[in-house]
Amino acid sequence: MTSHRGLAIVLLAAAGALAPASTALSQATKAPGLVTEGVYDAGNLGMSMQPAPQNDDGGAVYAVPAWPTYTPPLADGDGKALVQSFCGICHSTTYITMQPPLPGATWEHLVDKMIGTFGAPIPEPAAKTIIAYLKSHYTPETRKQ
Amino acid sequence: MIRLSRRSLLAWLSSGAAGLAFARPARAEVAPHAATPVPSFTGPGVNPYWNGINPFVSYPQKLPLLRMTDRGIQLETPRPYFLTPFTPNAAFYVRYHLDLIPNAVDLATWRLNVEGNVERPLQLGFDELVRNFKAVSVAAVNQCSGNSRSRFQPRVPGAQWGNGGMGNARWTGVRLRELLASAGIKSGTVQLQFQGLDRGPGPEGKGADVVMKSLPLTDPALDDALVAYLMNDEPLPMLNGFPVRLVVPGKFGVYWTKHLTWIRALTSEDTNYWMASAYRIPDTPRANTTPADAASGTLKTVPIGHVRMPVRSFIVVPDGSSKLPPGLPVRVQGIAFSGDGPVVKVEFSEDDGRSWLEATLGADHGPYSFRTWEHTWKPSRSGKHVIAVRATDRAGHVQPDAPVWNPGGYLWNRVERQTLIVGAAS
Repeated sequence: MTSHRGLAIVLLAAAGALAPASTALSQATKAPGLVTEGVYDAGNLGMSMQPAPQNDDGGAVYAVPAWPTYTPPLADGDGKALVQSFCGICHSTTYITMQPPLPGATWEHLVDKMIGTFGAPIPEPAAKTIIAYLKSHYTPETRKQ
Repeated sequence: MIRLSRRSLLAWLSSGAAGLAFARPARAEVAPHAATPVPSFTGPGVNPYWNGINPFVSYPQKLPLLRMTDRGIQLETPRPYFLTPFTPNAAFYVRYHLDLIPNAVDLATWRLNVEGNVERPLQLGFDELVRNFKAVSVAAVNQCSGNSRSRFQPRVPGAQWGNGGMGNARWTGVRLRELLASAGIKSGTVQLQFQGLDRGPGPEGKGADVVMKSLPLTDPALDDALVAYLMNDEPLPMLNGFPVRLVVPGKFGVYWTKHLTWIRALTSEDTNYWMASAYRIPDTPRANTTPADAASGTLKTVPIGHVRMPVRSFIVVPDGSSKLPPGLPVRVQGIAFSGDGPVVKVEFSEDDGRSWLEATLGADHGPYSFRTWEHTWKPSRSGKHVIAVRATDRAGHVQPDAPVWNPGGYLWNRVERQTLIVGAAS
């Protein structure tokens, strides 16, 4: 189920669909009690609605709504779409904008870690473009926003 | 409603123990509308602000918190919530590593599994956990290992916390040791491994699919550990680990597994990514090292679970966002804690750490809790002042006034300062 979802996300990513994926799993055997996980609401910036009171449904499922996302824009430039789709497989690009300006070598090391340590399925040419993008916009010399 | 005459108000303001005489009502939070907002990033220098620079956002079951990342979710607690010894659940910080965070849990099928090298594997339902085991409470600080990472110089990658990657709660649940006794831990058990329901989409076994943390079976910290189903006498918010989480008083939050579902008795040392590669610190005093030594690859490292949280203290108000009028006493308030026994002393400095005066401590909620402190300070002149605070714990550790550096950005506990501007009266 997980790998199926992973594949689906890679395909989505390759197709340029950038919205965070959501999933609904019921895996009583693998993860007891887990009903839904990783449900994110894309683009919930600004207003959010108040929750209505919970009805008595007689059940034992305890639920919260989708997690809102608040992803700041990335700097425009070559490789931005690749960064959004490949890095976005596992995490929002807020993980990039959250960092202080980092030296180019550090960005290179971080991308290598995502691929080598965590198994991010990023082909070599895309990885090169992603590293070049990060160096062009997120180092002490280059960061503007 | 407390009514004071003008004279008694002045007497109260000038007394060193102002405010300790009666319990404060719950403080309404100030709407975070900034006249001048902080910048969108800090660095390559140090983040100079108390919190990280991130915006206020809203999440289910939460008050507005500071968004560090939104998928996975990492939210920092804003400074004003640390005025009280117990951090409200709705304001308690959130730190996940991976993005598949539960949105719904079915207690009809959820089980706490105690398995591995045990005589009787357990699969405990929520009601069994609550009904069949003695309920125990402890007040304990949960602090992220990387709290205050944005103070590091040179900066290191990772979650760029200001000081708000921490919180204190009264945790109620079942003693871990009682559960272990019920399962019957077999000889040959070396470590206990903890895993929750949260996961990630990465390939199996590389660290981006699940997070697992382990502690030695004999670690004395586990004697105080709870499997908690109440937080400040309420169910845990989903983002803080519903239905139960591990509580390991004195240790950093990474060991406080959220959505705890598996406890495994291991017969050999855990070699999964989250033990063997992540959350490791140099085996040096304060885990201090240099970028050159870290790059050499010869540094001996140990899991951060080898240490307890070092002693820290914080100034919460005044926060420097407004000028102070001259001639009035200033009620300086904050918190202190240590993972190594209770805080026994908090000292205040009005001169940037050159001289120190003992501050007044608030109520004692136990050795692992936040301890509030306060000091009534009378600024001698208008202009810029730098005040400072430091704490001492029972083990005799005094907060140092030197920075620390390691590649993971862990164990920051330097003396805290606050710049204040006392305005003119005419």
